[in-house]
Amino acid sequence: MSDAAFRRIEHSKQINAEIAKFRDKKILDETALDELRVELLRLINDRQGLNLLLDFSNVEFMSSAVLGLLGQIHRKMGTLKGKLKMCSIHPQIYEVFKLTNLNKLFSIHKDQAEALAKF
Amino acid sequence: MSDTQPSYTPRHRVDVLMAEDSRIQAKMLEKRLVDAGHTVRWAINGQKAVELLKEKRPDIIVSDIEMPEMNGYEFCRIVKRDPSWQTIPLILLSSLSDPVDIIRGLEAGADNYVTKPYEADYLLGRMDSLLDTPLAPEPPDAGPGMEVTVAGQKFQVQAGRQQVLNLLVSIFENAVTKNKELIVSNQALSVARDSLQKANTELVAVNEKIERSNQRMTRDLNAAAKVQQSLLPAKAIEIPRASVAWKYVPCNELAGDFLNIFPLDDEHVGMFVVDVSGHGVPSSLLSVTIGAFLTNRVSDSSLLVKPGKDGGPPVVVPPAEVVTQLNNLFQADNQAGLYFTILYGVLHAPTGRLRFASGGHPPLLHVPRQGAWKLFEVESFPVGFVPDVEFTEETLQLEPGDRLFLYSDGVPEAMDANLEQMGNDRMTALVESLRGQPVDTVVTKLLEAVQAWCQPKGPLDDVSILGVEWQGT
Repeated sequence: MSDAAFRRIEHSKQINAEIAKFRDKKILDETALDELRVELLRLINDRQGLNLLLDFSNVEFMSSAVLGLLGQIHRKMGTLKGKLKMCSIHPQIYEVFKLTNLNKLFSIHKDQAEALAKF
Repeated sequence: MSDTQPSYTPRHRVDVLMAEDSRIQAKMLEKRLVDAGHTVRWAINGQKAVELLKEKRPDIIVSDIEMPEMNGYEFCRIVKRDPSWQTIPLILLSSLSDPVDIIRGLEAGADNYVTKPYEADYLLGRMDSLLDTPLAPEPPDAGPGMEVTVAGQKFQVQAGRQQVLNLLVSIFENAVTKNKELIVSNQALSVARDSLQKANTELVAVNEKIERSNQRMTRDLNAAAKVQQSLLPAKAIEIPRASVAWKYVPCNELAGDFLNIFPLDDEHVGMFVVDVSGHGVPSSLLSVTIGAFLTNRVSDSSLLVKPGKDGGPPVVVPPAEVVTQLNNLFQADNQAGLYFTILYGVLHAPTGRLRFASGGHPPLLHVPRQGAWKLFEVESFPVGFVPDVEFTEETLQLEPGDRLFLYSDGVPEAMDANLEQMGNDRMTALVESLRGQPVDTVVTKLLEAVQAWCQPKGPLDDVSILGVEWQGT
């Protein structure tokens, strides 16, 4: 699967994990959310034991509906016995994670290097 | 010339001299003529054709007009002025784009015209009719012929009567052929016009259909919006020992937000704000479903007030248990990834004791009659995110005149044109500045502040605000 197959994410492979980096600066509308959902599920492709890192460094704004998607991916990875981590979350967005307590549910790291070291 | 196989069988099998400068056209014509039983000699221009004439007299000549070295008219003139050649019938292949071409042909003494593009069968038929009536040699004292002026040009026409007649017939035939072609084109045009009209009619029908489904969808949306309105408090809320105000502005026809406040029994008042993620039909359907469980009508299906055991008084369900139950009922994976947040409080009206629970909802704002405001953040997951979690209960003792504000994230997360959020600080500062005002005024001004913050586009999220002032015993 080539990188060009994804419009909303940049897909790359590291030794111990695959990285999906959100391309959008803003994830606000339902269309963007639906496309992200389709692309992330296609990337995961029901692979058992996948290590996946979601990189938020491009994202400056996102609606709280994105949290629903992250929850869905989190549960999906759980049933596949995989590991999900997130990194480089903008402070304002991190506030939304804190507000909903999801910073406790998700494994969130400062940057790619820190996250990759923890897989 | 068309590529179809000739069906015409000529009456004469003769020796044809062909003058044509295009190799491709010459080859195609040669094949047709040979297939029809003729023998063919080909010259690439008039000059070469004259040489071939000298070698051997052909039975008929077919000549293109536009050729280098010597064109068709010049070649024709040479043939028709030579007493030993003038009785050889000569057909000019012309585009006949100009009436002067006809006169030029007459002047040169051509016997026939075939206009390009032509069908091979048509040319073979022409050759036959010319070969049917051999040309009589022109008497030597034929005189100067007649002078014709066309388009300001004078032409000296030497042709004999039979030649003129042949040429006239061929021109007439050409005209008939062109006319037939025109009729066919006209019919094709008429067919095209008919199908265009049909397509247009279909388009109008499709448009009407779209318009109808659009109207139906608008009706459905309005009806759904009305159903959603039923989740909101009754117009005149009578809550003992409290004054209440609320605002609810969906950002689209259908919302994910809803709120309510109502007595649960003689002493308890239930209040909540719910925010389902997303907007539109899916979120609104889920909100209506959730709403059915959050009712103060005593029943087994109500999550808020259960019938008492053995005919005893109804039982008010503790807030944390309500949220835990909701989490068991509404897991996001069963509802297209939609989750929701809720702040649910139960106020004991006689004592002012508030018990509340949060499912990932923005903090409760408490503004005491005296003293500093406080935001009560409760660490909890949104409802539907994580299965089998317990939600915790918080309590707060109110003093008479204390105020509570419950709201959806559409308030603090309202974004301006630069996507800057209004934030808790601006929200609390505004509420603080309106301390002396009635709770109704505070709620109204807070909504106005959100709408002003979101100019020029207006809020991108639903906005719900519920304000309650406990008046004490």
